[in-house]
Amino acid sequence: MSSTTNTTDQDRQPLAGIDRSLRHPVMLFLTAGAAWLALAILLGVIASAKVHNPGFLSRHGWLTYGRVFPAHINALVYGWGMQAGFALILWLSARLSLNECKASGTILTAGLVWNLGVALGVTGILSGNGAGMPWMEFPGFVWPVLAASYMAIMIWPFIQFRVRPAGPVAITQWYVLGAMIWFPWIHITANVLLHCLPGHPVMAAGINAWHKSALVFLFFTPVALGVAYDLVANVTGRPASGTALANMGFWSLAIIAPWAGMQKLAGLPVPYFLPYVGAAATVLLFIPICAAASDLVRPLWAGRATLAAEPSVRFTAAGLISLVVLGVALMVLNIPDFTLRLTQFSLSGYGFDTLALYGFFSLVMFGAVYAIVPRVTGRGWYSSKLIEMHFLFSVYGLLTVMLVTLVGGVMQGLSQEDWKLAWPAVAAVANPFAVATTFAWCLILFSNIFFLVHLALMWLRWGCGGDSDAPPRKTGTPHDGVGHPEDAAAVSDSLVDPT
Amino acid sequence: MSFRTFILILAASFGAPWLAIIVIPFFKMRALTPIALNQKADGATGIFFPKRTGRVADGARVYAENGCYLCHTQAVRPTYAGHDMHRSDWGGLKDDADRGDTRRETCADDFFGEKFAQIGVARTGPDLSNIGRRVETVYAAGGDPSAWLYAHLFNPRDLPQLWQSTCPPHKFLFEKCEIKGNPSADALKVPAGNNREWVPDADAKALVSYLLALKKDQKAPAALNFAPKSAEGNP
Repeated sequence: MSSTTNTTDQDRQPLAGIDRSLRHPVMLFLTAGAAWLALAILLGVIASAKVHNPGFLSRHGWLTYGRVFPAHINALVYGWGMQAGFALILWLSARLSLNECKASGTILTAGLVWNLGVALGVTGILSGNGAGMPWMEFPGFVWPVLAASYMAIMIWPFIQFRVRPAGPVAITQWYVLGAMIWFPWIHITANVLLHCLPGHPVMAAGINAWHKSALVFLFFTPVALGVAYDLVANVTGRPASGTALANMGFWSLAIIAPWAGMQKLAGLPVPYFLPYVGAAATVLLFIPICAAASDLVRPLWAGRATLAAEPSVRFTAAGLISLVVLGVALMVLNIPDFTLRLTQFSLSGYGFDTLALYGFFSLVMFGAVYAIVPRVTGRGWYSSKLIEMHFLFSVYGLLTVMLVTLVGGVMQGLSQEDWKLAWPAVAAVANPFAVATTFAWCLILFSNIFFLVHLALMWLRWGCGGDSDAPPRKTGTPHDGVGHPEDAAAVSDSLVDPT
Repeated sequence: MSFRTFILILAASFGAPWLAIIVIPFFKMRALTPIALNQKADGATGIFFPKRTGRVADGARVYAENGCYLCHTQAVRPTYAGHDMHRSDWGGLKDDADRGDTRRETCADDFFGEKFAQIGVARTGPDLSNIGRRVETVYAAGGDPSAWLYAHLFNPRDLPQLWQSTCPPHKFLFEKCEIKGNPSADALKVPAGNNREWVPDADAKALVSYLLALKKDQKAPAALNFAPKSAEGNP
């Protein structure tokens, strides 16, 4: 591979080999991730329905709100989010460093161990053995399993980066490399300090709040931005090495994001600077978000006439819009002594999480999935209608979530702060927004059933063949560092019998 | 940029906050110096140590496993961060028969005996920092506080004044048993069928013991008092 240069003709054959080598690892993570996503959203619908209808499915302990909700969020984070991240990191690293994936057996095994860990964790939460720390509710024995399988999966793209051919490094690779290093650092720090070392209980809550913020802004955000940069470079033909704005986006994220998170503890007995530093960093996150989003949206906007029909571009653009909305919301709603008091303990927190995990990260992942799966499986998408439905229902669901976050969270916060208002009246303010959240999750669930079925059909290779009436160029975006729609067919054609 | 430079800058940009807001505060906080009481300001000597009774560790586990922290906070913030102190019974009691206004902010010693401070995610329900105090003196005044909490956990909407509550029922924390001899002391008043009764299981007992022990309104030392000097003594 190392002799490959960047010309189209010479690229095509190695890229087909790289795709072939990635088929099983990438599809395992995507399909298992999509299954976890569907389960997570189903649990989310159940949990959300219980908020305004507490008698719903309340007979059994494992279906109580306090267990279903953590199962929902942990399945979303570790089942879907992390695995979608793995798939895209493996794909991008192999493609950008022009190396075939030579360890798919190890990666598949480690991937199964990861899924086993998540399954044990979710079962542990539902059976009443959760650890009771937000976003870290898996029972205490699960995190080392996840850490070990993470290492076994992620060491390979890391090695691929080290043996890449000489040349400029794409901005995508910096983002992906950053995420690969930050995740274990965050995961191990938080879990060791909270599970293994006795500490002060309030500081433990602070570390937990930091862990959640760091996971969002130092794993999910960089992975999704890396993916978006790669997609934009491919569909617009812009150089992948990145502009000054792109570099500023990356480094400001790297410098600001690790400080964020502890604003959750404003007014609590921790050293006073911690919540203020957390709030300041969260407000300043607007800088990297704005830099990266504007850098990515401009070329897409310039080419909107030809690109608007591409499903992967639409998903990516919608994801970037969610990111900007998230950035604005974080900036406006986390100001200490002013708006933070309204959002610290209101619906807004869950709204931020949903916007980040679903609105931004997942939509960008979907965009990438629609572009790369035809490459990996050598099949075109079965139906562009299914993709359309997935997009529309996701976007309508997200618009509802934004409404709940921005309006509902603040209204709930305002009534909480109005101490003359009796508590039952305060609690009632949140009810209509809880109904809206259930509605949103129903739309999102509906959209993702289409996604899961579609993806499973593709892995089973029931999609359209490369030369049939629905070729990849119709529904999949060219995504191979070459940028020719015809190349998709060429890649498919070369995959005669990969098994 | 070379790989080496990249790793070095990345390690520095993450390592600095990692040390400054995680590792150093973690080790500092776990060796907090107890606050010495001052005879002149506090009327006592020794160290400040809010006593906690009941099955704290056990009950905190049940509280965590069943996700109570998703809807209930245990955080009474100073007024610069929120208006929790103004609610008449969150930070303590506004008019305690013996002690007057007992309201105060959450302090670092309030979570003694717990591994993780359940400060909470959202306030779908009320703050529980002083739920034990509130049940004893307000909700179940003159009655049995444990019985009130058992009935509330069994079905929060059974109690007429809480018909609007969205708290889920926790019937899975109760067992339906045959009555042998006299009914159990803890049995619920809810009918359970012929010669049967609902009794709390071990988890429910631990949880109720923990909730009744949530009384974070002991007088805090002057060193922790957020009220300005001029406001002292005023309601």
